[in-house]
Amino acid sequence: MSPDVAVQQALNGISFGALLFILAAGLSLIFGMMDVVNLAHGAFYMLGAYVTLTLVQRTGQFWPALVLAPLVVGLLGLVIEPLLLRRLRGRHLDQVLLTIGVSLVITDVIGLTFGREIHAIPLPPGLDRSVPILGSDYPVYRLFVVAFGTALAVALAVLHRRTQIGALIRAGVDDAQMLDALGVDIDRLFAITFAVGAALAGLAGVIAAPVFGIFPGMDVDALIYSLIVVVVGGLGTLSGALAGAGLVGPADTFGKVLFPQFALALIFAIMAFILLLRPTGLLGRVRIAR
Amino acid sequence: MIETRDLRRDFGGIRALAGVTLTVAEGERRAIIGPNGAGKTTLFNILTGELEPTGGAVRLAGEDVTGRRPHELARRGLARMYQRNELFEPLTARENVALAVGAAAGPYRPFTAPRSSERASADELLERVGLAGRRSAPARALSHGERRQLELALALAQRPRLLLLDEPTAGMSPGETTRIAELIGSLDRALTLVIVEHDMDVVFRLAEKITVLHEGRVIAEGTPDEVRGDTQVNEVYLGKVVA
Amino acid sequence: MRSALALLVAVVPAAALVTFPMWSADWESSRYATTILRDMLILAIFALSLDLLVGSAGLPSLGHAAFFGGGAYAAAVVGQRLQNADLALGLAAAVAVSALLALVVGLFAVRAAGIFFLMLTLAFAQMVFAVAFQATDLTGGSNGFSGVRRPTFLGLDFNGPEPLFQLVACVFLLVLALLWRVRGSTYGRALVGLRENERRMRALGYDTTRLKLSAFVLAGAIAGVGGALSAYALRFVSTNDVGVGRSIEAFVSVLIGGTGTLAGPVIGAAMVLYIERVLPSSIPFAETVLGVVFIVFVLAARQGVVGLVRTVYARARR
Repeated sequence: MSPDVAVQQALNGISFGALLFILAAGLSLIFGMMDVVNLAHGAFYMLGAYVTLTLVQRTGQFWPALVLAPLVVGLLGLVIEPLLLRRLRGRHLDQVLLTIGVSLVITDVIGLTFGREIHAIPLPPGLDRSVPILGSDYPVYRLFVVAFGTALAVALAVLHRRTQIGALIRAGVDDAQMLDALGVDIDRLFAITFAVGAALAGLAGVIAAPVFGIFPGMDVDALIYSLIVVVVGGLGTLSGALAGAGLVGPADTFGKVLFPQFALALIFAIMAFILLLRPTGLLGRVRIAR
Repeated sequence: MIETRDLRRDFGGIRALAGVTLTVAEGERRAIIGPNGAGKTTLFNILTGELEPTGGAVRLAGEDVTGRRPHELARRGLARMYQRNELFEPLTARENVALAVGAAAGPYRPFTAPRSSERASADELLERVGLAGRRSAPARALSHGERRQLELALALAQRPRLLLLDEPTAGMSPGETTRIAELIGSLDRALTLVIVEHDMDVVFRLAEKITVLHEGRVIAEGTPDEVRGDTQVNEVYLGKVVA
Repeated sequence: MRSALALLVAVVPAAALVTFPMWSADWESSRYATTILRDMLILAIFALSLDLLVGSAGLPSLGHAAFFGGGAYAAAVVGQRLQNADLALGLAAAVAVSALLALVVGLFAVRAAGIFFLMLTLAFAQMVFAVAFQATDLTGGSNGFSGVRRPTFLGLDFNGPEPLFQLVACVFLLVLALLWRVRGSTYGRALVGLRENERRMRALGYDTTRLKLSAFVLAGAIAGVGGALSAYALRFVSTNDVGVGRSIEAFVSVLIGGTGTLAGPVIGAAMVLYIERVLPSSIPFAETVLGVVFIVFVLAARQGVVGLVRTVYARARR
C-alpha cells in the first residue's frame, strides 16, 4: 500500500469510526441507563436517513435534517418508551424482544412508504469538495463527519460530567429503587434516555446518508455494527462506545481494502478475541461472557 | 476434610478476607460465626467455588481445589445449602430432588426417561426431611420452612462428604428452627458439616467446634465453652447478642 | 401404557397429515394449500429446534438461521458437487455442517447469558451471512444457489409437490417424536433445570456450560435438517436463509405459539407463515401486522397461544 493510499484509508477509517461512535453512543446510553439492548436501534437509524431523504427530495435542503431527523426519531422514542417499554419494566429480555417488534413495524412502514429501491442523496453543498491532504484529494464531507463526531463526543462527555444524570451514572447507580430514593423521577428519566438514544441513532442516519446511501436492509447493517462496537468497547459507557468505534472503524476500513473477502470475518474475529481476553469488552463494567 | 490456608479476598479496595486459615476434620461439626461484615459470606462463597480467592489455598480431602468451579467441587463430594433458597421454582418438590439425585449419573441420556430408582431416592429424601406429604407441590407453593427443608434435601441428595450450610435457619419461626436444627443434628456422623450461622442457640446446639471471624480474620477458635468464655469474642460479638 | 395410548391417538392426525395431498386433491388442484402447509411444516421444524434452546434451556438465540441456512447450503452444494441427489447424503451433510457451525459458535456464545447471549448469537449469525454472501463460488452469493436437485432415496424420487410434501411431513413427525422423547428424558429434565436455576444446577454438580453447548449443537443440527428440506422444497437457497430476518421469523413463531411446549412452535409457525404468505394477497402491510402481533403477544400474552389456552382452560375449570 502506497503512503497516500494509506493516508486515505486511515482517514476513511477515522471518519467511519466517528460515524460508528455517533451510531453506537445511543445504544450504549440506553443500555447503560435502562439495561435494555434496543434492537430497534438500526430501525431508528434507518428512519433518520429516510427523513433526510424526504427533506432533500421535497426541499433540496440537507442541513435542517440534522435537527429534524433526530427530532422525529426522538419523539417516536418518547412515545414508545412509556407506551410499550414501561409495561415491561424489570423484564429485560422481554423489553429486548419488544424492540424487535418495533423494528419490524418501522422497517415495513418505511418500505411501504418509500418502496424497495436504493436511494442516493447528494453531498450537501459546501461540503461536496475535496481538499488536498498529504498529496491526494480527500472529500471534505468525511472530515466533517470526524469533526461532528468529535464535537458530539465532547458534548456528551461534558453532559456526563456536569449534569445530575451524568453524576448518577458515574456513581454507578444501577438500582431503580436507589434512584427513586434519591428523588429521581424514573419514568421521566427512562423516557428521555430512550428518546435521546433514538435521536442519536437518527442523527447517525442523517450523517451517514450522503455517504452510504439509503436502502431497505440498512437497519440490519447498522444494528450489527453498533452491537459489535459496544460489545468490543464495553457496554453501557460512552468511553466504551468511543473505544469500540475507534477500533472497529479503522479495522473494518483496512480490512475491506486488504482482504475484501474476509473483512467482516476480521471484525468478528476481533470481537471474539477481545471477549476472550476481556469479557467486559475493552472499557466496560458489565461482564458479557465468562 | 477441608482446610484453608491464609485465604485472602479483596473486592476493589475492600479487604473482605485478610488471611483465614482453618482446618475442619472429617466428621467434624464446625460453626463459623461473626458479626455482619466479618467475611462469613465471602468465605462461604470461596469454599463453594463461586468466588475465587485473591490469595491463599483451599484443600478438600487433601486435594488442592483452589479456584475450582462449583460443579467440580460438587463432584468431589461438596454440597451446599444456600442462605437464600436456590430451588427450581415451578417444579414439584419431588422433581427438584430428582434433579439433584440424577446429577451423579450425568444428564446425557437424551432418550431415556428418569429412572424409577431416582424417583424412589427422591421420595426417601423428602421423607427424611419431613416433606413426604408435599412432594407433588411446586416449590414456589411451599412455605418458607418447607422450602428450607427442600433446600436441605437437595444438598443431601448429592450424597456429600462435606455439607456447607449458609444460615440454615434464616427467616424461620422458632418451631421451624427447632425442626431444622434437629434434622441437621440427626445427620450421619460421618458427614462433615460447616455451618455459617447467626442464631447462637443453634450454633451451641449443633457445633463441636466454633470459628469466630471478625474483619476478615479468625479471632478465636475452639469448643463452644472456650469460645463463650473468650473475652475478645465477647467484646466483639457475643456481647452484643447475649440474650 | 400411557405412551401406547398417546401413540395411538397421535397416529390418526399424523396419517391425515402425511396423506394431505391425496385427500385435498379435489379442492385444491393448484397445490397452493399443499405448498403453504409444506412451508409451515418446515418453519415448524426450525421453530421447534429453536425452542429447544429458548423454551427448554432458557437460551434466547437470535442467530439460529445460521444453522438453518448452513444446512440448506450444505444439502444444495453436496447435491450439485457430488452429482448425487441421495437424501441420506444430503441430510447427513446438512446435519454435519450445521452441527459443526453450532459447535464453533456455541463455544463462544454459551459463555454468555441472557441478553448478551442474544447479542452474540445475532452477531455470529451475521458472520455466517457475510461468508455466505462473499463465497460466491460456493453459495452463489447474493444471487443465491438455484437449481437444487430434488432428493431421491432408496428408489423413491421426491420430485413433485406430493412426494416432497410427504417427505417434509414425515420428517416433521420424526422431529416431533424425537423432541417429545428428549423432553421427557433425563437430558430434557436437566435442560429445564438449567433454565430454572443455573446456579443450583452447578451446585449440584452439573457442568452447565457443557450442557448448554450440547443443547446448542442439537438444536443447530435439527435446524440444519429444516434447512435441507427448505432447499429441496424451494430448489433454491439464498442468503436470506441465514439472515437475521429468518432468525427473527423463528423466534417470533416460538414466542407467539408458546415457548417450552411442543405445540407452541408449531402453532406459532403456522400463524407466522399465514401472515407472511397468505395475508399479503389481501393486504400489503403483512410485516407490520407480524410486528404488531408480536408486540401484543410480548406485552399481553407472553406465554403465547398455548399459554392463553391453558389460562382459559384453568379458568373454566374453576
